[in-house]
Amino acid sequence: MSAALFSTAWQMARLEMQTFLSWRLNLGLQVLGMLARVYFVSAVWTAVYAGRAEVDGVPLETLIAYLTLANIHVWVIYPQTLDVLPPRIRSGAIALDLARPIGLLPQLVARSVGGIAGLTAIVIGLLPIAFLVGSLRWPASAEAGALYLVSVVLAYAITLAIGIVLGLIAFWTLETNGIGLLYYFVNLFFAGALVPLWAMPDWVQKIAELLPFQTQAYLPISIYFGRLAGTEALRALGIQAVWLALMWSLAVLVWRRAIHRVVVQGG
Amino acid sequence: MTLASVAWALFLANVRATLQYRLNVVIWFVVGIAFQLTSFFFLWALLARFRAVGGWTLEEIAFLYGIRLVGHGLTVFVFGGFQIVEWNVREGYFDRYLTWPVPPVLTVLTWWRPSSAGDLFGGLVLLAAAIRIAPVDLSPIGALYLVLAIAGAALVEAAFRFAFAALSFRFLRTSGLMFFVDTVFNTFGNLPLRIFGLGAEAALTFAIPVAFIAYFPASVLLGRTSELAVPPAIAYGAPLAGAVLFGLAYLLWRHELPRYQSSGS
Repeated sequence: MSAALFSTAWQMARLEMQTFLSWRLNLGLQVLGMLARVYFVSAVWTAVYAGRAEVDGVPLETLIAYLTLANIHVWVIYPQTLDVLPPRIRSGAIALDLARPIGLLPQLVARSVGGIAGLTAIVIGLLPIAFLVGSLRWPASAEAGALYLVSVVLAYAITLAIGIVLGLIAFWTLETNGIGLLYYFVNLFFAGALVPLWAMPDWVQKIAELLPFQTQAYLPISIYFGRLAGTEALRALGIQAVWLALMWSLAVLVWRRAIHRVVVQGG
Repeated sequence: MTLASVAWALFLANVRATLQYRLNVVIWFVVGIAFQLTSFFFLWALLARFRAVGGWTLEEIAFLYGIRLVGHGLTVFVFGGFQIVEWNVREGYFDRYLTWPVPPVLTVLTWWRPSSAGDLFGGLVLLAAAIRIAPVDLSPIGALYLVLAIAGAALVEAAFRFAFAALSFRFLRTSGLMFFVDTVFNTFGNLPLRIFGLGAEAALTFAIPVAFIAYFPASVLLGRTSELAVPPAIAYGAPLAGAVLFGLAYLLWRHELPRYQSSGS
């Protein structure tokens, strides 16, 4: 990408970040909803432990820290493009996007990265509250922390592709609200934000391991807490890399077909 | 034309309009079920291994969950229109509601969305299954109480939607509050409240009356009133809470409706 194009992408990312931060009330309510879920999941698991020191070799404290972080994950790492794209396709504003000097996919990536930059700033400010409502702790080791960061970047890159695939569906259906909501709930469960994969009934766990959602919370956070370490951690990163390649191939494939479906409203 | 036939005609027109987008209807139907059942899968995954949460078995929780879900399904099926009042008021479209020969509130209620059918369907299946496997009191009086409790559950939720719709004449934006209360109902309404601690239980009884929706009625029908933090009489009276709250919401609506200002043009 030439310097001028890169600066266009940079401007789009900045604009998106500002737009994002301007929706304060909406954001505040989202945060409240997320914290309520952390409180809820923690309370339920505390009741389930019923005073036992540990279950599956995991002390309650660790589990609650896991769940707190997992719920932050599924809230932050969300395929935002899914909500951004369909209204533009419906209104015909997509024509404007297509006329820009950089391709649609790089634009969508720039927008999403800007959005997540705004959100990350908020999340860091939010961590002390999350700690009080649920629990948090430092990574198991410096190595675990470093691998976790790699894993989070992979998780986000996968989400970008998922957002693009689901958002592009609007070229056919014009509306994806239902699909977005459905994604959110399926992801919540199979990413392991309510029940970690190790605590799921066996056959559910087998299904979860075949799906991409584990890359969103379960794998990175297991690395963070040292539950997956050494070669196991590398294997987890490998699984993420495979999903990354698959999802981006799918995104590009769907995009190539979608471009032929552009219908711009009006004259 | 009578009042009822006008309202019925409006309702059918809304259903016909919605059914124009068939794929969307199917997707929303599935979303309605998925939305409500995600946290049930969560509980099921837990209880498949741990057998009980706060002393309640999976069967008993399924029963509580079923009451809340059918109540919620009825709320969105019958009273779903309350949630679009805010938007109509802000955009000035509420003018139309004032021109039809039926009270505005009836016109509001004729609006309908397919996900509500999914909610209701999921709830009925769960409740029917739970009644078979949980030790529910199904004497004629128990069954009557169950029906009243479900009506009460629907009215508690509907009362909040009604009140926020009424307040939108004054504040124009109430969807944030609506979203928050809805989240509280959806999150905490499906479980025995005692597991959240006394403070949260008090807040969920008196500040946002979640307890009256399913926790109290389920405790009564499962013979668990002795473990409640409130006197059993309050639990037995739970179905009344919905009627009272809905009545209050209606008074609020009557009071706020004259404040509607068309957005001009």
